[in-house]
Amino acid sequence: MVVGDISTGTEVLVIGAGPGGYVAAIRAAQRGLDTTLVEKDAYGGACLNRGCIPSKALITASGLAHEAGTAEEMGIHADPAVDLARMIEWKEEVVDRLTGGVEKLCKANGVNLVEGTARFADDHTVRVAHGGDGQGSESIEFEHAIVATGSRPVEIPGFSFADEHVWNAADALDADAVPDRLVVVGGGYIGMELATVYAKLGAEVTVVEMLEDVLDPYEDDVKRVVRKRAEELGIAFSFGEGATGWSEGGDGGYLVHTETEAGEESTYPADRVLVAVGREPVTGGLDLENAGVETDDRGFIETDDRTRSAVEHVHAVGDVAGEPMLAHVASTEGIVAAETIAGEPAALDQRAIPAAVFTDPEIGTVGMTEADAEDAGFDVAVGEMPFRASGRALTTGHSDGFVRIVADADEGFVLGAQIVGPEASELIAEVGLAIELGATLEDVAATVHTHPTLSEAVMEAAENAQGQAIHTLNR
Amino acid sequence: MTIEEFRLPDVGEGVAEGELVSWLVAPGDRVEEDQPVAEVETDKALVEVPSSYDGVVEELFVEEGDIVPVGDVIISFRVGEEDGTPADAGADGAEPTDAGADDAEPTDAGADGAEPTDAGADDADPTDSAPAADGSDEPGSPSGRTFAPPSVRRLARELGVDLAAVDGSGPGGRIAERDVREHADSGSPADDGDGEDAAIGPKPVDIGSGDRTSAVSRRDSAAGTDATTASGSGASPERAGRDRTLATPATRKLASDLGVDLDDVPTDETREGEAFVAAEHVQAYAEASARPDAEAAPPAGEAEPGVETEPTPADPATDAPTSTATTASIDADADDGTADGSGATIPYRGVRRTIGKRMAQSKFTAPHVTHHDTAEVDALVSARERLKPRAAEEETKLTYLPFVMKAVLAGLREYPILNSELREEAEEILLKGEYHFGVAVATDSGLMVPVVEDVDEKGLFELAAEVSDLASRARDRSLAPAELRGSTFTLTNFGAVGGEYATPIINYPETAVLGLGAIEKRPVVRESEDGAEVVPASTLPLSLSIDHRVVDGAVAAEFANVVMDHLEEPLLLLNE
Repeated sequence: MVVGDISTGTEVLVIGAGPGGYVAAIRAAQRGLDTTLVEKDAYGGACLNRGCIPSKALITASGLAHEAGTAEEMGIHADPAVDLARMIEWKEEVVDRLTGGVEKLCKANGVNLVEGTARFADDHTVRVAHGGDGQGSESIEFEHAIVATGSRPVEIPGFSFADEHVWNAADALDADAVPDRLVVVGGGYIGMELATVYAKLGAEVTVVEMLEDVLDPYEDDVKRVVRKRAEELGIAFSFGEGATGWSEGGDGGYLVHTETEAGEESTYPADRVLVAVGREPVTGGLDLENAGVETDDRGFIETDDRTRSAVEHVHAVGDVAGEPMLAHVASTEGIVAAETIAGEPAALDQRAIPAAVFTDPEIGTVGMTEADAEDAGFDVAVGEMPFRASGRALTTGHSDGFVRIVADADEGFVLGAQIVGPEASELIAEVGLAIELGATLEDVAATVHTHPTLSEAVMEAAENAQGQAIHTLNR
Repeated sequence: MTIEEFRLPDVGEGVAEGELVSWLVAPGDRVEEDQPVAEVETDKALVEVPSSYDGVVEELFVEEGDIVPVGDVIISFRVGEEDGTPADAGADGAEPTDAGADDAEPTDAGADGAEPTDAGADDADPTDSAPAADGSDEPGSPSGRTFAPPSVRRLARELGVDLAAVDGSGPGGRIAERDVREHADSGSPADDGDGEDAAIGPKPVDIGSGDRTSAVSRRDSAAGTDATTASGSGASPERAGRDRTLATPATRKLASDLGVDLDDVPTDETREGEAFVAAEHVQAYAEASARPDAEAAPPAGEAEPGVETEPTPADPATDAPTSTATTASIDADADDGTADGSGATIPYRGVRRTIGKRMAQSKFTAPHVTHHDTAEVDALVSARERLKPRAAEEETKLTYLPFVMKAVLAGLREYPILNSELREEAEEILLKGEYHFGVAVATDSGLMVPVVEDVDEKGLFELAAEVSDLASRARDRSLAPAELRGSTFTLTNFGAVGGEYATPIINYPETAVLGLGAIEKRPVVRESEDGAEVVPASTLPLSLSIDHRVVDGAVAAEFANVVMDHLEEPLLLLNE
């Protein structure tokens, strides 16, 4: 034992105060467990500080500016002036309010908060180094640990986030000016969301994607709606090209170099390059091996359906525990971890994990696609409702996209849905509930939906799947 | 009809075995699910074991007084299948053992044979049901075919019910909470391992037993044991060596306590396609592994796998040799002198044996030094006399013990090293900083040490009431296991029986124990201007044993001085 070292004990030690960690800590404290939460940076994690929340703030703000400037059809003529500095400041205010709320909630629930960087000393002890040199450190002994250290943006060869003109997503959410030309490397959901933001703010945006389309895991007809709209916004796409590096452009800007699999090279002029090719787990520096916990070759901690790692009293939740890297998955896992530690029969048995992409228009998905359901052996019934047949969608000026609902043809149980269109991220919740409760197409269709709303499209899709939709032709 | 074997369930708290004190049923008796069939005494408590089945007692496999490892078959029942097919009924009736057993209870026997409907709710026997459970996705049926809302899924986990085996009453077979409860109540052995646990009642929720031995190092030592046994004995079990194993938390806890890697435990059972291990598998595996090398077993007092070499009806002969060493070593502390007659033997079991193990562990691990001194307590005696009626008004009997507890508290605050625990492996001494005092209580079945928590936060009367409550419940064996754990310092009031000094044994892994002699008038020397004279005064002899690894005699003496100071001038206790 180091002289001057302070040692304390806790029943549950949570490392990382993101949406996995703080939720786990609060639930553990609610269950009467002595809980300590260690955070090295900012309460709320990437989600509140560098991800979900700030990006949604800018998506909304840039969308508003864009809408106001493009509503001549509705008889509105405006040319909004965007004060980016104020927009970013407003975003910060939102973030501060939420992170402050997280800290207060933790305290009010009796969670002990410790600021610093934790490393495992052994399987029942961490050492927490406090920020700054010579700030000292302490040992915390724990009976159970929950690792919730999250993930960080992946760097690719040729692009270092240390360079001012190379952005990761966090940089893009903290910009001091809208670049004239933005090259986005990676057409996944983060790349597409931010490409949309900057296109709406007036940047000339090019998306370079190694695959042949954007938004890889989604179905073709879903992708098509988003890509078409992005092209209308002036976003250019180059598919099948990987970014290899950059050079000075001569005009004060830069050139982004790309290469196809066949070796064809191209360059794209840019003032900023946003690299959004994925996220990697933050497990380095935790000294997990001292606790006997191993990571897989990508650095993820493998866990069972009760969030336990191979070392049973060490749990892992959220991005660090593997795909899908979603804040709501992290929170769900955090609750299961805390309740498992409290001896409750919690488990990750959700049938349907929803996901949303905040592009224009939005994508919301939950459960199985038609192909998933067929692969699983279901006799599948599918119903669709295009938003162009929705009165409410037309009155918002946004009628691209559709609701598709996937069900078991025999009994009608709802298995999944894909929604692309206005407010898809909100609409998907209804279908998630239907899946979890074992509702049938008939249950959804017979539930009265308010008119005129976008949610009617879900009901219509359920009717369509039964071949009896009123507002569309049944296929 | 089928014969269901019933194993001694995990009675909680990582207890590995129990003494079957008495049978509450006899062969031929009709029992209902949850009806107690036996009384089992563990290290900690006397518990009733309820049946998991509705049926008729077929056979008792252990004798009263036997020590039974958790997971051993103790009793079998005859239970019916769905509307008992005639073929089955015939076969059953023809069994000679059956007839013999039933002779004892002719009426039952007749009723039983004629009553196939009785146990109709039960499914097939466990060997059939395991495949049935996970095979419920019959060929061609899609996976994830079971539709049940999250609340129902959680309930199923809680009751150990496999949803795939439940018939849903909702539209299209959707499963409701009611369906799961009915399935669980039917005692369907489809959920065998879990279902049994569930039927026994609340599972122990282990929030950390306070045992800091690392799971990893234990796993390593278990692996070491395996290696030895593999070379040393052909009887050692094969390690299954899976990558992933499902088990209930209670089973995981048991495995961890026994130093067993769940992935090594052989099993035929599966849940959702994954290997599933139940507590009895772990127990059997641990016993088989530990048998050739009992030395390597985890620390005594937690669980003792492999002490019993025969898993079935315990043979006293196998018990004796393993116990003698410890028996001899703890004689010094015998406080339970009921032996009489020559050549008679007294069973060394249950509480007695637990005491023995704990004492041996403490005495052989911690080098004891006992410091003796005497406090003059005239002032304390009169203080207590004055307070006694006030306590009586609150229906509390005020003894000297609460005063001593407060005096000890004062001492520990000044010398926290005596309120500590040596963690040799970690090379550190943990200063507890909390004041939970064990209070030794002599009971008919042996020494018990219930714990008074947070002595620093309680008043004298509160302490008096709590000690008296704990002591009386210790005597009638109704203390919860949690009430016997977590002490940081222990007091033993042997003076209640009589005597001046003793050499108390530390309640390991604590660092110190304080023994109190009888408060009596004894001659003391008082100095005055006229010279010294011998006068009678009330005195309290103190015997403080310390772990000399942690603390030296001088500190012990200084601590004792603080305690004595507070006993001689009880007004000082107002500070505490």
